[in-house]
Amino acid sequence: MKFLVLVVNRCLWFLPTVLGLMVITFTISHLIPADPIAAAAGENATAEQIAALRVKFGLDQPIYVQLYRYVLAVAQGDFGISLYTQRPIVFDIATRLPATLELTFVAVLIAATLGIPLGVLSATHRNSPLDHVLRVITVSGLAIAAFWLAILFQLLFAMKLGWTPLQGRVDGWGPDSVTGFFLIDAVLMGDLEILQDVAAHMILPAATLAFPAMATIVRFTRAGVLEAINSNYVMYEEAMGFPRRIIVWKYVLRNALIGTVTQIGLIFGILIANGVVVEAVFDWPGLGLYAVSSILQSDYNGIMAFAIIAGVIFIVVNLLVDITHGLIDPRESR
Amino acid sequence: METLRFVAGRFLQDRVALIGAVLILLLVLAAVFAPWLATHPQDVSEFHPADRLQGPSLAHFLGTDRMGSDVYSRLLYGARITITIAVIAISVSVLIGVPVGLVAGYYRGWFSELLMRVSDIFLAVPQIVLAIAIAQTLGPSIENVILALSATYWPFWARLVYAETRSIQNEVFIEASIALGVSPLRVMITHILPNIMSSIIVRTTIGMGGTILTAAALGFLGLGPPAPSPEWGRTIAESREFLPDAWWYATAPGLAIFLVVMGFNLLGDGLRDILDPKIRRSRTHDR
Repeated sequence: MKFLVLVVNRCLWFLPTVLGLMVITFTISHLIPADPIAAAAGENATAEQIAALRVKFGLDQPIYVQLYRYVLAVAQGDFGISLYTQRPIVFDIATRLPATLELTFVAVLIAATLGIPLGVLSATHRNSPLDHVLRVITVSGLAIAAFWLAILFQLLFAMKLGWTPLQGRVDGWGPDSVTGFFLIDAVLMGDLEILQDVAAHMILPAATLAFPAMATIVRFTRAGVLEAINSNYVMYEEAMGFPRRIIVWKYVLRNALIGTVTQIGLIFGILIANGVVVEAVFDWPGLGLYAVSSILQSDYNGIMAFAIIAGVIFIVVNLLVDITHGLIDPRESR
Repeated sequence: METLRFVAGRFLQDRVALIGAVLILLLVLAAVFAPWLATHPQDVSEFHPADRLQGPSLAHFLGTDRMGSDVYSRLLYGARITITIAVIAISVSVLIGVPVGLVAGYYRGWFSELLMRVSDIFLAVPQIVLAIAIAQTLGPSIENVILALSATYWPFWARLVYAETRSIQNEVFIEASIALGVSPLRVMITHILPNIMSSIIVRTTIGMGGTILTAAALGFLGLGPPAPSPEWGRTIAESREFLPDAWWYATAPGLAIFLVVMGFNLLGDGLRDILDPKIRRSRTHDR
């Protein structure tokens, strides 16, 4: 029952938060110093032409009417036309979203499969050389600029050693699009060559994104394990003669991971933020690269759409994290 | 005074915090003494096309860039930009966030709710996303980067101060001063603020690192101060087309960002260990 209240409570916050986000982007888009209509109309436009354009775009209306129309349009997925591709922005974003999601999932997968065991080892071998090395790695992971790490990887592995492709998502056309996730599509086609090519393109950007995420996971897993290992049930299990391996990897880890799960929201924030620059470096045709080309083209509509979509994805992830947290840790919802 | 000596003593023992402080000191020295430390101080705005893309040598410690300017000298001047952006943006964030958090934490009612909901909305989105939108709309310049960062970072302090204020509000000494008729403003400034100062200091130190990373990312995306600014993020973006040959061009500014952010993160971690009595207790406990 309490759990249900938690879920309903969190879901009720979803709408006001997204609405607030729209108010922010609406405000930002009204910060433009120059008159956008005068600029769009061109230098030779007469005052009447400009006034007509103002009416056409609804800019003659009071500000709250404009805001109302804006929210209504965005809620229906209408972000306007991209000045760059001349297509509805929602189309552009829909075609690019799978690339970003695939990259993000792979990065999270790498970060978790490496980060959780390393975090446990770091805690069980506290103050050992291994712990110190891991501390240096995690501190570095949170201090390094993602775009710089991306360039270093490119410089070393693609340019000097030639082990991986320099950039892009695939050579040639790529697999027939079924899901939009190239790894899955390649498997569905049963084409090993394409699968290999897709994976090779994915390694560097995924590793770049995974590094700071892994650092965060190691940190929180380590802290969680250290806290759990001092609790009474561990003392009890040790007294009962349970093997240490089982205590740590089965009982302690399960409790420690609760703390790590709550940080997934934070990790996702890092991934979205770094995704923009990493996609720019690797020419990865996702949402981040779209944001970057919108910046280069001064495409305000594209930037605002990116801000809203990225924001909503982030809000949804945090909503899911809260609910999952309530599910796996009954104490939360008691 | 006693506390200060205690903190200073702990600080000198904490090697991690000390390394962080040294790195930050190096940044400040580089920025302040840039004109004297630079071997080619005029290269911030002067170009020598004949010397372009030369590797590191005695004449150019870190090589030259696409314009033939000295990378090392420009790096030092870039430190000035980094410090300016980070210090102003963080100061503004603290100056907005702390009062908002104090007021929202001290009073109860719809206004407090509103203040916290607004900060929650800002916190519900990754900072760089809104910063990109703001910086792009206003146009690339150092002032707009500062504005974009301040506008997106203040809620961190508002949240923190709000939570801390709420948690110490029921302490006896606060209730006593309210009962004695001390004005709310005075309670907030002389009783609550000093007690939550250590959390604010720790958050601010770590926040500096994050702000420098975001500012560099904005510069890298072309939203920072325009060319020929020696801003570090912009320099890395400019260097990309000359890879892999001119490796020094891209590595030097990235390493500078890395060391500076590392400095603030290490100092923040160290300060937290020293200042936070809760952690201090648990540390001695599990030893």
